Amino acid sequence: MEAPSCRERPPGSEEEKEDPAVVVGLSLCDSAPLVWRMQDLRTVRSRGLVGALLGSLPRAPRQNGRLGRPLLLLPEEERLLREHHAAAALPQPDRSQAMSGLLKDGVRAELCQQYEEQQQRSFEEQSVLALEDRKSALHRAMTSSHISAESGAGTSDEALQHRLQTLDQNFTFPRSALAVQLSTARTGLSYCSEARALLQADWPIRQRCKPHCDARYQVYRDLRGRGFYLTSAGKFGGDFLVYPGDPLRFHAHFIAVCVTLDESICLLDVLAVTRLGSNVKKTVLLCSPGADGGVCYTSLQWSGMV
Amino acid sequence: MKMSGASDGAEMPEKRPPPNWILQHPAYQQMKDLQVGDSAQVHAAFLVYMDLTEVRRWKEVSCVKSPELQLVLLEVREKEGAPVQTVLPLPVHCSLSHKSIRQVLDRGFPMLLCAVAADSTLVYQRMTDGLVTPEPPVGPFQDVGRRQQRKRRQQR
Repeated sequence: MEAPSCRERPPGSEEEKEDPAVVVGLSLCDSAPLVWRMQDLRTVRSRGLVGALLGSLPRAPRQNGRLGRPLLLLPEEERLLREHHAAAALPQPDRSQAMSGLLKDGVRAELCQQYEEQQQRSFEEQSVLALEDRKSALHRAMTSSHISAESGAGTSDEALQHRLQTLDQNFTFPRSALAVQLSTARTGLSYCSEARALLQADWPIRQRCKPHCDARYQVYRDLRGRGFYLTSAGKFGGDFLVYPGDPLRFHAHFIAVCVTLDESICLLDVLAVTRLGSNVKKTVLLCSPGADGGVCYTSLQWSGMV
Repeated sequence: MKMSGASDGAEMPEKRPPPNWILQHPAYQQMKDLQVGDSAQVHAAFLVYMDLTEVRRWKEVSCVKSPELQLVLLEVREKEGAPVQTVLPLPVHCSLSHKSIRQVLDRGFPMLLCAVAADSTLVYQRMTDGLVTPEPPVGPFQDVGRRQQRKRRQQR
């Protein structure tokens, strides 16, 4: 069995529309599989795997409604990709090499200079635009007051000209008002070595408990094979939320609870999860992998008998 | 009537407790005769029986024994001519396995689970094999206008 090929892109290139990758590159943060690159995200979605976005968007910070990269995969999603030889861990760049590369005086100085020049150009452009903006605002303000004033037209014109002249001479665009554009196309923390070091911290993000994990994976694979989309169902106390199509287009139909056939379930828990399911218009699915490799499903619903 | 057990003559005479009507009920006797060995479950089964027959007036309620589970099950029709359903009565503190649920489903009839609480509250839940799509939410649906969203944002 040959090792799957992993498409690597040199960090310098910027391509607008990249084809979805054949093999998804995973950045492993301890045990958590993260997807950073846009082509990888497209591939993951096109395979019917949803994952969960974790990152904040630079232009919309301090909110949790819309999140950005990286995408965190469920352990079942990662395992499915690996089984189809569609994912591989990206080689971790040698830390010492990366850091020494960045700190090489020549390279760093050059990058700094380029950045400064770019900022200066942007500053000059923005100053010009700001001045024009102020002038037109002034013009608007003075001409509108002229319409309502009904006094002599000549004096207001002169006043306007005088004001515009003063503005030209005295206007300064403060440096603190400069709008700085952040380039986010290549965000992959390839250059923020401190942040990357934080992500590589040694604590396990997810626990591994063998028998339950296998049950979950069997159920995941079976439902995915039937064309459902699955996401994590922590909000509903279940294992998965099952959607009949892409979660962006549909509400979930089922809350899947994965148990083994022999596992003892407390009746109160069954009542609680079924009641919750009926309140949110979802059917609770009790799922167990059978001995023959298939999975048996039992739907739990409110009886309607008060 | 002779007093039993009282050595001290000055004590108040004990009242004999009334006969337990449940224990004497023919349906209960029938369930006991099934000899499942779990008296709490038999008691739960009896309460469900009374609810189905007297309160809901369902038809043809009969009790059977499940050999695999060693429990009393009820077979019942909701109305004359309706299909037979299996009801699994269980005290609420019990636990059960998915396997036992499948064994009841394997009998081939629609299945109801009934949980019996200590205060005799009964909760019925439907259990079906396979994936049952839930009822869709009821319309008419109103799109939230942009004005409302803006208002909400300002209020924050």
